Amino acid sequence: MSFLAPIFLAGAAAAAIPIVLHLLKREPEARVRFAAVKLLKKAPVEHTQRRHLRELILLALRVAALVLLALAFARPFFASGAASASTGVTSVALDTSYSMSAPGRFARARQLAKDAIARAPAGDLVSVVTFDDDARIVMKAGSDRVLAASAIDEAAPGFGATRYRAALSAASQQIAGRRGTIVVVTDLQENGWDAGDRVSVPEGAAIEVADVGALPPNLAVTEVRPLPDRIVATVHNAGARARDARLHLTIDGRAAGDARVPLGANQSGEATFAGAPRGGVAAVAVDDPDGIAADNVRYALIGGGSRPSVLVVTGSGDPARDAFYVQHALAAGAPGTAAFQVVNVSGAQLSSWTDDRIQPHAAVFLLSTRGLERRGREILSAYVRGGGGLLVAAGPEVDGDIVADVLGAGSTLRVAAPVAKPAARTLAPADVRHPVFQAFAGNGATLGLVKFQNASKIAGAGCQTLARFTTGDTAFLECPAGDGRALVLASDLDNKWSDFPLHATFVPFLHEIVRYLASARAHAWDYLVADAPAGVKKAPGVATVADAGRSAPRRIVVNVDPRESDAGRLSVDDFRSAVTRLKDEPGAEGRVEARQQEDRQHLWQYALGLMAVLLAVEGLLAARTA
Amino acid sequence: MAPWTAHDRPFLDPAVVARLGTLELKARTIVEGFLSGLHRSPFKGFSVEFAEYRQYIPGDDLSTIDWKVYARSDRYYIKKFEEETNLDCHLLLDVSGSMGYGSHHGMTKFEYGAVLAASLAYLMNRQRDAVGLTAFDEDIVSMLPASARPGHLTALLVTLDRLRTARETNVSKPLHQLANTLTKRGIVVLISDLLDDPDEVIRGLKHFQFRGIDVIVFHVLDHDEIEFPFDRATRFEDLETNEEIMAVPGAVRDHYLREIGALIERYRRDLGAQGIDYQLLDTNRPLELALLSYLSTRSRAL
Repeated sequence: MSFLAPIFLAGAAAAAIPIVLHLLKREPEARVRFAAVKLLKKAPVEHTQRRHLRELILLALRVAALVLLALAFARPFFASGAASASTGVTSVALDTSYSMSAPGRFARARQLAKDAIARAPAGDLVSVVTFDDDARIVMKAGSDRVLAASAIDEAAPGFGATRYRAALSAASQQIAGRRGTIVVVTDLQENGWDAGDRVSVPEGAAIEVADVGALPPNLAVTEVRPLPDRIVATVHNAGARARDARLHLTIDGRAAGDARVPLGANQSGEATFAGAPRGGVAAVAVDDPDGIAADNVRYALIGGGSRPSVLVVTGSGDPARDAFYVQHALAAGAPGTAAFQVVNVSGAQLSSWTDDRIQPHAAVFLLSTRGLERRGREILSAYVRGGGGLLVAAGPEVDGDIVADVLGAGSTLRVAAPVAKPAARTLAPADVRHPVFQAFAGNGATLGLVKFQNASKIAGAGCQTLARFTTGDTAFLECPAGDGRALVLASDLDNKWSDFPLHATFVPFLHEIVRYLASARAHAWDYLVADAPAGVKKAPGVATVADAGRSAPRRIVVNVDPRESDAGRLSVDDFRSAVTRLKDEPGAEGRVEARQQEDRQHLWQYALGLMAVLLAVEGLLAARTA
Repeated sequence: MAPWTAHDRPFLDPAVVARLGTLELKARTIVEGFLSGLHRSPFKGFSVEFAEYRQYIPGDDLSTIDWKVYARSDRYYIKKFEEETNLDCHLLLDVSGSMGYGSHHGMTKFEYGAVLAASLAYLMNRQRDAVGLTAFDEDIVSMLPASARPGHLTALLVTLDRLRTARETNVSKPLHQLANTLTKRGIVVLISDLLDDPDEVIRGLKHFQFRGIDVIVFHVLDHDEIEFPFDRATRFEDLETNEEIMAVPGAVRDHYLREIGALIERYRRDLGAQGIDYQLLDTNRPLELALLSYLSTRSRAL
């Protein structure tokens, strides 16, 4: 039996009170030298031994009542296996990502998992966790090893990608502050750790890795891009020898073409299916009977993936003059295609637009406020407040008042022209986890190579500072405006105040900005299995979803995460190096479970009930003894 | 029986009497106070021995007016006579162990009985009755023959003072012994708690009746013995036999009260049927009541 609040057991010491009173305050037995004893002889006289016994029973009842009271306050419960801190736990985390679905691999993984269960020290509890993008506890910590083996037998590889963090967190939860071993049965894929991933496991938990082995030779379709005049598919050979990849295109289930791509070891190649695609869904499959089946086919919506459009507002409307670097950076993309479609407009031209015309644009870059009349500001303001995204490059052509006007009356953003003499400064992200810095893999220091000679003063009470200059001034702000958001850079993007456009970080930086600004408006159609909307089966294919607020349902495609097809592997030491040992916070998880168990059992109520019964019996007995 | 309190009646509280010094002082205090409280003494003037003259006051018996003196002096004088006794009073005091019981305040039954005996002796001596004392338990412990001599009272009081309770009771045996020794009619006063076989006791008392001796029985019991006021479990030890009984008063009280009530009722009924005065005395109650009982019996005996 365990106790939720064992401190109250000290209250059981109160049981000593009646004992001490019984011993110390015991009144000497009343003795009366009496004359008429002979008249008492025939009375129902109580024998001394019987009375003594009755007194002892009374004492026991009183002591028991006090002990029960203390017991009730200590909140007792019968710890089922999971809450018993003295028992070790062997938690098996079984990788069910689709990389395990290659022939024979998952059977080996099952065997390794069962071996781990069998090796668990006698008396230890065992638990089974399966994981891919998420971790699922298929058997809580318990002593039934047959059940654990059965849970392993029932596990099957899915379509998710490997994520060790989820697995270790769930397995640690099963150990819950006790000693134990986490056995990770996996193929040790390098991509199982996200960039900068760290996971903490309890200090008392040992980590063992049961390696299923390297990926077999595998071909995977990693990308399908329907373009206006063709469909381009990327295929990857994750094998040590060169292979010919035979690709088959189907559109809405009908064969639409074949292609053959020769691939070297660990090499990617593209297959082009010529001709303007017509139809709804394109699926490209590769012949790979010996490899992983899940990544042999990939889906894409035809026409659903038109490039997001970015509206660039400049002083003249001539991108070659005012937005040369920005236009080229946004247009940069995979060979043969541009990442974003760029639309240039001058401030003056924008004033003649209607609200509807600006809406299709995924984001607006405001590089100059020159010529931006009131009407133009209202259009921009309505766009932003309606959920649009705006990037303001507060360079020499940007007027702070106009920017404040664009963001609306509630905005606290202030942009002021530089007062200090030009001086070189660099930029440091204040929060590298922000999505705009995602391209730098959590390492924002690479942005530090950019030299800023001049910068505007930007500030806003309700704005989040994303980056600062080394001078301490704010470099990059995010300001909410209505339903939309505005990002404000304190310098230009045109190689006047800074050399940013000359650095390699410029393109990914702008791309991430556009993706971030567009994320509030864009409706994605290409989902990974892990990100599939609620209600959509977590498997590759085509699905229809109805979004709240949209009248017509839309089609989406769900594909497996192509990173899972990467054959890169970790060593066991690399795997362990990502794990941080956490000093056991004394059984926080255990406490939660203990509380739940106590809540279920309610033993304190029985203790109090029994105490009431004992007190009632004591009262009756005492009345007869008095 | 409700406990007597000093505010209820103009009698002496036994607890007060108990604090008085000698037995003689106790007896005198009781008897003098008792006599002075009587409005009219019917016990004066039955003797033939002249005592004194006293001027007549309205209300005096006309038969007591000395007409010769009236003829000589033309005034009414009452002729007063000393009482003359012809009674032998025998005080029988139980000194068995059971008489040693007394509740926390006041006197033990023995002390109460001793003071009662002393008071009666004092009263008798004052009335010129011959008084004797016999102390007994299971046998006669001490015996002082009846005498009316002035110094006899002192001897009797000294004897009383020396008595101690000790042994078991056997009331009937000393009664029979004493009855056999008495030849002259008189009064026998038995002071005892009568915790003996009632048949034997009554038979012994009948023996006196048979010999023409009036008997007064003062049944002395402690208040605790009548009410049984104990409330917690108690080990009761017999004063005479040292026998012990553990009893829970709550459980045995009813039984005990029935038993003691039956005993008292038995004595009251059977002794009353034999013409024997029976007086139950609670040691909490004043001794004067006992004296009254004695005097009414004496007047009947004369």
